[in-house]
Amino acid sequence: MQLKNPKQLATLQKKYKAAEERFPKKVLICCGPGCLASGAQKISDKFKQVLKDKRIKGFSVEALKETGCHGFCEQGPLVIIEPDGTFYTRVKTKDVEEIIEMSVRKGETIDRLLYSPNGDGQRIQRYHDIDFYRHQDRIALANLGKISQCNIEEYIALGGYQALAKVISSMKPDQIIDEITESGLRGRGGAGFAAGRKWATCRKIESDVRYVICNGDEGDPGAFMDRAIMEGDPHAILEGMVIAAFAVGSSQGYIYVREEYPLAVVNLQKAIEQAEEMGLLGDNILGSDFSFKIRISRGAGAFVCGESSALMKSVAGEVGEPRAKYIRSVVKGLHDQPTVLNNVETLATVPVIINKGADWFKKIGTKKNTGTKAFSLVGKVRNTGLIEVAMGTTLRKIIYDIGGGIIDDRPFKAVQTGGPSGGCLPESQLDLPVDFDSLTEAGSMMGSGGMIVMDDKTCMVDVARYFLGFLVNESCGKCVPCREGLYQLHALTVRVCEGRATEADLEKMEKLSNQVIIGSLCGLGKSGPNPLLSTMKYFREEYLAHIRDKRCPAGVCRELITYEINDKCTGCMACIAVCATHAITGKKGEIHVLNQAKCTKCGACYAVCKHDSVVVS
Amino acid sequence: MKNRFIVNPDLCTGCRTCELACSFTHAIEGLRGQTRIYPLDGGFKDLWIPVVCLQCDDAACVKSCLVDALRRNSETGAIDLNQEVCVKCMACVAACPFGCSVVDQQHKLVVKCDLCGGDPACAHFCPTKALKWNPIEPQTRKVAV
Amino acid sequence: MVNLTINGKVVQAEEGEVLLSVIRREKIDVPALCHHEAVEAFGACRLCVVEITRQEWDGWCDYVTSCLYPASDGLIVNTHAAKVNDLRKTIVDLFLARHPKCPEIIELAAEYGVYSTTYQTVVDGDNCILCGLCTRICDRMGFHAISTVGRGHGKEVSPPLHKAPPDCTGCLACAQNCPTSFIEYSAAKGFLTIWDKKFELLKCSGCGKETITKVFAEHLCQERKIPFEYFQICDECHRKQLAATMGEITSWDREAAS
Ligand SMILES: Cc1cc2nc3c(=O)[nH]c(=O)nc-3n(C[C@H](O)[C@H](O)[C@H](O)COP(=O)(O)O)c2cc1C
Ligand code: SF4
Ligand code: SF4
Ligand code: FES
Repeated sequence: MQLKNPKQLATLQKKYKAAEERFPKKVLICCGPGCLASGAQKISDKFKQVLKDKRIKGFSVEALKETGCHGFCEQGPLVIIEPDGTFYTRVKTKDVEEIIEMSVRKGETIDRLLYSPNGDGQRIQRYHDIDFYRHQDRIALANLGKISQCNIEEYIALGGYQALAKVISSMKPDQIIDEITESGLRGRGGAGFAAGRKWATCRKIESDVRYVICNGDEGDPGAFMDRAIMEGDPHAILEGMVIAAFAVGSSQGYIYVREEYPLAVVNLQKAIEQAEEMGLLGDNILGSDFSFKIRISRGAGAFVCGESSALMKSVAGEVGEPRAKYIRSVVKGLHDQPTVLNNVETLATVPVIINKGADWFKKIGTKKNTGTKAFSLVGKVRNTGLIEVAMGTTLRKIIYDIGGGIIDDRPFKAVQTGGPSGGCLPESQLDLPVDFDSLTEAGSMMGSGGMIVMDDKTCMVDVARYFLGFLVNESCGKCVPCREGLYQLHALTVRVCEGRATEADLEKMEKLSNQVIIGSLCGLGKSGPNPLLSTMKYFREEYLAHIRDKRCPAGVCRELITYEINDKCTGCMACIAVCATHAITGKKGEIHVLNQAKCTKCGACYAVCKHDSVVVS
Repeated sequence: MKNRFIVNPDLCTGCRTCELACSFTHAIEGLRGQTRIYPLDGGFKDLWIPVVCLQCDDAACVKSCLVDALRRNSETGAIDLNQEVCVKCMACVAACPFGCSVVDQQHKLVVKCDLCGGDPACAHFCPTKALKWNPIEPQTRKVAV
Repeated sequence: MVNLTINGKVVQAEEGEVLLSVIRREKIDVPALCHHEAVEAFGACRLCVVEITRQEWDGWCDYVTSCLYPASDGLIVNTHAAKVNDLRKTIVDLFLARHPKCPEIIELAAEYGVYSTTYQTVVDGDNCILCGLCTRICDRMGFHAISTVGRGHGKEVSPPLHKAPPDCTGCLACAQNCPTSFIEYSAAKGFLTIWDKKFELLKCSGCGKETITKVFAEHLCQERKIPFEYFQICDECHRKQLAATMGEITSWDREAAS
């Protein structure tokens, strides 16, 4: 059905909302990437199978929803019973029947499946009460975990496409741009450029053709916010894009998605078809004379293709290499035409701002960093997953209140933000408010929102080595400072890890880093040395320990450590079984012996020993 | 265009002064360049033909150049070869039906007559006036011979 | 026209003209390895970097590649600022580490006082400096026969799938413009081989000299409507042919006159 005007959309919303309200109770099964990996699809299938021959008053298969990522992936597969928000974690197929009988039919809770924060038997029923959720503010992720993945009816029922109706029926392009500018929305893709200003520049340039592109490349290892939105709430992105297009005067848009996200591609494609069918996308949107089409462009999954100029080349079918941006891509972007490029999260936030107003949005976050930001919180924290917090929330709050602190209560050592171009911040920076400017000032970056927490067992030199190694392979290889400079920085860092470096090498690393920063063509090279520089700044003693004492304090760098078996050994033979080089000998029940000459320091024995008897020195 | 290049074979004695003049004029860093003009045996007794680029209207060299290194200079009327742009593919050398795009082996360049930027040295030096650089009468557009 | 200052001297330039061409017009020596006028500026070697500032920038400077940066009024350019020299030196040093046996790089590095690299020499470093001139010129010629493959430190120039490139015409533009003569080809007995592809060379019907490849000539005939006969004799024989024709005509005149 093609909607001919905004009124029809309002009527339709009422209808869909009523349809939703038919079922007082709903079962939401998280089918985000994390939960799918832990078997959510099987759970959902089982639900459907069981429900097929069951009749429950006020409930049916239609009230069962496969939603996008709910965030708390680590506890998946998640099943949530609405309206009260009963939160079942680590659900197995054998639990399904019980959930249907007890929770759905009788309205009771199954204690065993509830979340237990400390594993001490204390359990929390509703997810709103769980620390992980309690401290969050969700705008871009608001619909995730609430509605079925790419279901336009549910999206509309929740007020979806109302912002589009509003701009088409009552706003002029300049008003939209003013509203977005006023809201202070900054791009969520990394650099934090003011979205309103970007749109305004694009609109001002004389041209018959303008493009709007959504950046869904998300190449940072460990980050999956954009993926979650693209898979779970694609309509929010489409709506944001149409509004952007209307504001800047564009009739063609692209969504750039990496090939590694096949479900995102499928869901976005489905969403585009649904929206086109309803006249919310395509020709004469909502009966107006404004037309806008969106195509999906699939990227080969190169990190550098997230960079604006490389992305545009890739969309145009050329090799995804950045070009110098002395003329910005807003002015001369895709096919040399003015182009607005925004991140997935940025665009998904736009409809909310239009609906609730810039003033409402401005109240969230800080003065120069309004609104919220999504992060994927991973690493050595108790609660890992997808979160969204108000800008300016401190690292401490994120790591300790939401993340629940460090696993096994080990000491916190550092948090890495901003992906490979970001940096590592130490304990002294824990009270840093998380926003674009503070992070940059501290030597890290917001990036697209990866957040990796590290404990004392992490070697910071090794971390720098890891990220540099990633960048050496992911640099596009076009310009020399980045291609060769990062390679040499990596080589120097390896020297430190192997205890072959001197203090003069540290100086050389610093100098070369600065040269790479000023000399490189694009943002990748210009920020590539960040992981190195930030760890050298905050964890210099650790570098010096590797250099002067030939010692890796965290016990990570293979060349500098030895494994030993102490007298706590119970002779369980577990280590003997895993040692690939047969370096460990001993009889059952007797203390085992490790032959250093044969040991390759793979750490397998260390990992497998349950009695803390394999030690690093 | 104010002048036109005139070649009168009848007056050519085959002294090859033009070749020298050309070669010196197109020297690079003191190294003589490849001549762009060739006084050749006309096949009859005492008949020499100074073969030089005809700056054709619909020139094969211009057509053959895939990178637009060859362009007509509206000031001089010559087809100029832009060395900065030339990629040395030899297309023009092979395509010119008069053999007037040539290779400068010494400098590893492809070269052709550029009318010395509007004052051809060969015409200056030709002792018999077999080569002339004559003004075009503005009204009649006729060349004084 | 705009006025800008280069190394203290006020010079004129077209608005938007890239700094490198203004610098070269002023006969200032700035190294550039990835630049060629036949193709769009690329900005890969970074050697042409210069320091720029403006009165209103209050002493703040930026470092840009002159092959890409457009001239504008009031720009103040320093082609050999201390930081620029430093950066160039680092770049040639990095080049030398990667291409330790490349004569052109060794020479360039020596110009900057780098005689052996301060970095770790790349063991299997070849002489391809990845300036991308070959691929870009090939694209400009309209063939798209070769391209860079891969990314990062392992990037290389290659025909598709490392096999003889179907679209190559053997024009040799890539090899002719390779700044380190890394692209190999051989011509022998009427055949030219490049990128593992063998081409028949045209032979002058006059003197037997070999000229361009048949495939390239055919391409030119087709694309640019040049008669194939033009390619059948070499430039020298073409000139002789012209002399003979002109000679004949002149001889008629002589006869008529006598
Ligand atoms: C090396 C590099 C990788 C990037 N990767 C991404 C990415 O994966 N996703 C993204 O949205 N932006 C990425 N960016 C930032 C984009 O270039 C661009 O600034 C952003 O998409 C603009 O959208 P925004 O203003 O909404 O943030 C990357 C930048 C660089 C330099
Ligand atoms: S900085 Fe790195 S990624 Fe960017 S253009 Fe240069 S080589 Fe490519
Ligand atoms: S040799 Fe130079 S001028 Fe001649 S066709 Fe090739 S590129 Fe053009
Ligand atoms: S000439 Fe290579 S970067 Fe400018």
